[in-house]
Amino acid sequence: MKQIGRNVERAAPYADRLRERHRTHRWIGAQAALLALGLYASAAQAVPSFARQTGMACAACHTVYPELTPFGREFKLNGYVIDNLKQIKGVTMERRETLSLNSLPPLSVMLQVSYTHTATALPDSAITGALAKDGEILFPQQASFFYAGKIADNLGAFMQLTYDGAEDHFGFDNTDVRYARYLSLEGDEGGGASPDAAPSKHSLLFGVTLNNNPTVQDPWNTTAAWGFPYSGSSVAPTPNASTKIDSGAAGIGQNAAGIGAYVWLDHAFYAELSAYSAAKTGGAHPLDSTQAAVLTGLAPYWRFGYEHRWDRHSLFLGTYGIEAGIHPGNGLALSGPVDRYTDTAADVQYQFIGDQHLLTVLASYIHENQRLNSSVANGLASNSSDSLGTTKATVEYSYQRMIGGALGVFSTTGSSDALLYPSAGGVAGNANGSPANRGFIAEVNYLPWLNTKLQLQYIGYSKFNGAATNYSGIERNASGNNTLYLLVWLNY
Amino acid sequence: MTPTAALLRLATTLAACALSSGAVRAADPSPELARSAQQLAATTCATCHGVSGRSTSPTFPNLAAQTAPYLNSQLHAFRDQTRADPDALAYMWGMASQLSDPTIEAISAYYAAQTASPPKTGDAKLMARGKQIFEEGVAAQGIPPCSSCHGPQARGNNIFPRLAGQHADYLVKQMLVIQSALRAAPVMHGVIKDLPQAQMRAVATYLESLGP
Repeated sequence: MKQIGRNVERAAPYADRLRERHRTHRWIGAQAALLALGLYASAAQAVPSFARQTGMACAACHTVYPELTPFGREFKLNGYVIDNLKQIKGVTMERRETLSLNSLPPLSVMLQVSYTHTATALPDSAITGALAKDGEILFPQQASFFYAGKIADNLGAFMQLTYDGAEDHFGFDNTDVRYARYLSLEGDEGGGASPDAAPSKHSLLFGVTLNNNPTVQDPWNTTAAWGFPYSGSSVAPTPNASTKIDSGAAGIGQNAAGIGAYVWLDHAFYAELSAYSAAKTGGAHPLDSTQAAVLTGLAPYWRFGYEHRWDRHSLFLGTYGIEAGIHPGNGLALSGPVDRYTDTAADVQYQFIGDQHLLTVLASYIHENQRLNSSVANGLASNSSDSLGTTKATVEYSYQRMIGGALGVFSTTGSSDALLYPSAGGVAGNANGSPANRGFIAEVNYLPWLNTKLQLQYIGYSKFNGAATNYSGIERNASGNNTLYLLVWLNY
Repeated sequence: MTPTAALLRLATTLAACALSSGAVRAADPSPELARSAQQLAATTCATCHGVSGRSTSPTFPNLAAQTAPYLNSQLHAFRDQTRADPDALAYMWGMASQLSDPTIEAISAYYAAQTASPPKTGDAKLMARGKQIFEEGVAAQGIPPCSSCHGPQARGNNIFPRLAGQHADYLVKQMLVIQSALRAAPVMHGVIKDLPQAQMRAVATYLESLGP
């Protein structure tokens, strides 16, 4: 699923600020409301094509989709290639295999239909004082097509094409192509990579990933691309400050191409280094000043972690981050001073997977250091150095993978910056230049079948864009953005 | 031995003879096939069943040191979709669907040759009760000693699986699905059809505590 609002650069404050100079505040207010969408709505899939390829039920890889089980993580790290389909084979006279292709393509479809209701209706986008329709049905919110599965031995892909109902746009979505093979296999006898090798004390999986969204390659559910909540409204307002690594498509996600290498030692230690470069779809090409938030050079991404599994439990402790140089663009040349963002995160995931009861705890903290040389030079930020800190914690429970719920809390704090977080902007304005937001997410899920989810979600804000009450000077309170969201989510 | 137990014993012995001399008889795989099976086990099966067949989660049984004829028969049952308990459907129908007969034999031989999982000690009272059931059966319910088929140390016997060191949770679940006939195992179903769950837990706890 795409990160909501990904094609409108909504979280790049620069876009809003520049527009502000030329258009009325009323327009900005309405527009920003549309643009400030989806901070907490992150990407998520369970893909039936994997089930078709492996012949295994969703429950093998997922607790409740899209969250992965230990086996699901192994499947992903192994390159999506475990297959149990008849293969179309090619081989040379020297017995070199030239083709090993699934006889049936691993294709699937996802459909999301949703209803959104905010506590206080949103302003009309064109008429001052008027209100937009209160209660929004999106049919579809999203419809996606996937190729998710094996390409060749050791090479597999997760590719998604998505139609977004609110944007009326069909485009390239999350994609992760990876190659993986064991360099060493632990075993009692002949455990090396070569069948004749001596018994090895360690297993070592090596992989390469080519993807378009930092964290989409991650197998744990504490990072942005596959983190909680797994789906959210694409039309409700969400806070406009978030760290780059956590902003999904509003930040770097799906606006970048990255390549990385990882190792997975003894099914416990994970280490990955990747580098991302700007790769945008649509707009001017080669990329120029009309594009917004363009990565400069290569942005390094790192990920390290340790997972311990015992009995029916698993516990993961990890860290990840990115260092990204970004040109604001959107009317500014893609040269000169650069804004630099350094995100460093720590995360924890615990899972208990019983036959009847499943429990997951997710927690993460992300710190972002911003050096805004370009933004300050162009009047888009007051401080040359700002920071953001985001904390999230979630507990999920499911009974027989059929009925379950989740409760999550989130909080973002950071340095105040009157230009970066201006009060003008209507629903998307900030109080006192503060980026702070805080709230909770409660969910109830019912899955009559493993590939169908009916979801009721409620997001409550105690602080939104810097304040609890009248946060942007239009008599709108944080709680006015509390969101009730109903979702029908089908995968087939 | 009660008449029921004697009959069961006879039936199971005959079943074992028939099976061991039939299609599921394990032959020594060729070295090439053995290597390929070992690779398959280490790269694919190990994902759930652990290194050399010693698994971490009780959802997935230990396979190390399991008898080759039992493994062979179960892989055929998964492939032929005749073993239909929920986990068999969810995991093994797919995983076994493309296995050839020779590969099944080679994988079975590979796991049979591995070192068994270390034992895990459970509640002393449960283990004592379990030991009694395992060695003496439950006369009142006409349940014969488990050891009569599975061997005195529960190391298995031909088509009758090794139970020693197996995850207790897994064993209980198998007894439940066999009792409810979700998993077709007519002989075992006959043996445990009246076994209460508390006694299943006791015998499973005892079995998990048995070493290689």
